[in-house]
Amino acid sequence: MNDWRALARARGLDLSAQELDAIAQALERLEETFRPLVKELPAELDPAPVFRAENSG
Amino acid sequence: MTIHEAAEALRAREISAVELLSAAMSRLERWNPTLRAFITVTADSALERARQADRELAAGQDRGPLHGIPIALKDLFATRGVRTTGGSRVFENYVPDFDAAVVERLHAAGAVSLGKLNMHELAYGITSANPHFGAVRNPWKGERSPGGSSGGSGAAVAAGIVYAAMGSDTGGSIRIPAAFCGTVGLKPTYGRVSRFGALPLGFSLDHMGPLARSVRDAAAVLNAIAGYDPRDQASSRHPLVDYIPEEGCSMRGVRIGFPENFYFERVDRDVESSVRGAVARAESLGAEVKPVLVPDGAALNAVGQMILLSEAAAALAPHLENRALFGEDVLRLLDQGRLVAAADYINAQRLRRKLRGEFEKLWAQVDCLVCPTTPITAPRIGDLTVRLGGRDENVRMAATRLVRGINVLGFPALSLPCGLSGDGLPIGLQIVGPAFAEATILRIGAALEDGGVAIPPCPLA
Repeated sequence: MNDWRALARARGLDLSAQELDAIAQALERLEETFRPLVKELPAELDPAPVFRAENSG
Repeated sequence: MTIHEAAEALRAREISAVELLSAAMSRLERWNPTLRAFITVTADSALERARQADRELAAGQDRGPLHGIPIALKDLFATRGVRTTGGSRVFENYVPDFDAAVVERLHAAGAVSLGKLNMHELAYGITSANPHFGAVRNPWKGERSPGGSSGGSGAAVAAGIVYAAMGSDTGGSIRIPAAFCGTVGLKPTYGRVSRFGALPLGFSLDHMGPLARSVRDAAAVLNAIAGYDPRDQASSRHPLVDYIPEEGCSMRGVRIGFPENFYFERVDRDVESSVRGAVARAESLGAEVKPVLVPDGAALNAVGQMILLSEAAAALAPHLENRALFGEDVLRLLDQGRLVAAADYINAQRLRRKLRGEFEKLWAQVDCLVCPTTPITAPRIGDLTVRLGGRDENVRMAATRLVRGINVLGFPALSLPCGLSGDGLPIGLQIVGPAFAEATILRIGAALEDGGVAIPPCPLA
C-alpha cells in the first residue's frame, strides 16, 4: 500500500492533518479493492483504447 | 403532458409554442426560487425561438417532435453568448462563442431552451448541493437531494417546468437524479452523442443524454442529438435508427437478465421490492426473465474510480493553482487524483478491457440487464452517510454503486421510475443493454411504462 500522506506532502499539497487523513483514507479504501485486481492481470493485456488514430491530426 | 402530446396539440393549433413557453416560464418563476434548478434563465432568446417555431409551423415547416418544446440545458454545455459555468467559480464568467454539439442539434430540431441548469460543481459529485449557486432541492420533498450531478435537470423535469433537460453522466450523473426525482434518464452508448462543447470531467467516461417525463420523450430527444460528430474524437459512425418505440410495443420474446449477484446486495427494502415488482410485471407482459451472474461489480467500480480520479485531475489541472475557487468536496477528489500514479491509471484501463470482455459474454444470454438504478432513495440534503445492510455507507459511494460501472463499460442504460418508497420518494429501475442497443432498452422501458410501471405525478408538477 502507498503512504498517501507522504506522497501528498512530497507532491507539495498544503493540507491540514484532517484533510490529509480524509484523502488518504479514501485512497486506501480504493487500493484495497484495486491492488489484488492488478496482480491477476495477464502480462499481455493492453489498456482499453481511447485514442482513435483515424481521427487524429 | 408529454412531448408527444404537446407536439400533437401544437400541430392541431390547440396551443402555440409561445403559450407552451409561457406556461413553462410561469412554473419556473413559481418554483425556481425554492428548487434552485436554474443558474441562468434565457427568457428573451426562448421567446424569440418560440415565436420562430410558431411562424415555421404556420408556414408548414415542421422540424419534428421537439419543434416548439420547452427544454433546458445542464450548465456545462457551451451556449453561444450565454454564460456557461459548469456550476463552478472557475468558469463563472465564461461566455462561449459557440454552441455545444447537442445544443446545435436541439436548436436545429426546434427545441426552445429556457436556460442553464444548476448541477453539482463541475459535475464531480452526486448531491447538487452547489456551494456557489445554492443546493438544488428535490421537487418531491424539499429537504431531499435531487441527486446529481445533473440535479437541476432532474428537478426541472420533475417539477414540470420543462419537458426534457440535457444532462451528462460520468459515473451515474443522469441516472441518479432521474431515479431520485422520478424522471426518465438515458445514458447512451459512449460515442453515440457528441461531447463537443461539454466541459470535460472524465474523458473516457463522459456521456451526454436526456432526462425526460417518459421513455418515448427521452427517445425523441435522443433522435435529435445522436450521430457522428468529427469534433468529438470518440464519436461513433455506428448507424442511427429511429429510437422512438412504436405504440403498443411488446415485451414478448425479450430476454431480461436478472442479476443474482452484486446489484441487489445492500439495497433498501422498498427499492428492492419495487424493482422486483417491475420485473414480475415484465414477465407477465411476455418477457423471459433469466437469472444471470454478472462480472465483478466491485472491481468495475474500483476501476471506474481510478480512471475518474486520474482523468478529472488531468482535465482540471490548469485551474488548480487557484484552490479557493473550488468547493471542499471537489477539491478533495481532485487532490486524490493528483496522487494517483500513471501506472495505476494504465492498469485500470487494462482491467477495463478485461471486464468489458467478460461483460460482453452476457449479451449472448440476454438482451438487457434489469436492476435498481440506486440502492437508496433521495437522501436528505447534507447527509454524508446512509445505513444499508446494517452498516453505514458514504452517500456518494452508495448512490454511484450500481451505475458507475456502466460508464466504464460504455454500454447504454436507461433509468425509469418504478415505484415510491414508504415515505413517498421515487425509486428508479435501470435497464442496461449492449453497445448501441438504445432502441432495445427504450422499447423495453416503453413496454413497461405502457404496462403500468409508473409513479404518480410529482406533487409540484
